[in-house]
Amino acid sequence: ATGVDQVVGMGLVAFSLILFSYYTVWVIVLPFVDSDHIIQKYFLPREYSVILPGVAALILILCVAFIGAVTWRNRKPKKVD
Amino acid sequence: MTKLLEWLLGISVVMSTWGLLTFDLLDLKLPPVYKEVAWPMPVYLLVVFGCYSLATVGYRVATFNDCNEASQELQAQIKEAKKDLQKKGLKF
Repeated sequence: ATGVDQVVGMGLVAFSLILFSYYTVWVIVLPFVDSDHIIQKYFLPREYSVILPGVAALILILCVAFIGAVTWRNRKPKKVD
Repeated sequence: MTKLLEWLLGISVVMSTWGLLTFDLLDLKLPPVYKEVAWPMPVYLLVVFGCYSLATVGYRVATFNDCNEASQELQAQIKEAKKDLQKKGLKF
């Protein structure tokens, strides 16, 4: 793969690594850290670690349903010219 | 046992362990830190799986074997074939 493909591909890899690291620290590391440690201010309250992925999943499902609905509505009878 | 039954069994074992820990149904008197880590676990595992999928797709897009020479050779052969067939009377 060359050019844009490589950039997009490695961009996806980098993004998922960043997301994984941040989320892992948020869910697994933070409970073991003192509540007055400086790192705590970089993370939202714990409830959001479940609410935000839930909202993201909802939006994803809505997008998929929308695409499916538009595709279904645009289906034509058998003979495609 | 079918694969579906295996997966359902595995998932129900994991989910019941999670339920026991989160809602303290066995009164294990664990330190509350572990409860804090346990209750987001299902969402956490889904997010990790999503990240892994995204990384795999991205990596395989970036390292896809393009075969540029083979592509150009094929296009040249297509041109040659078209010329040849047109000479022999086939209309495109």
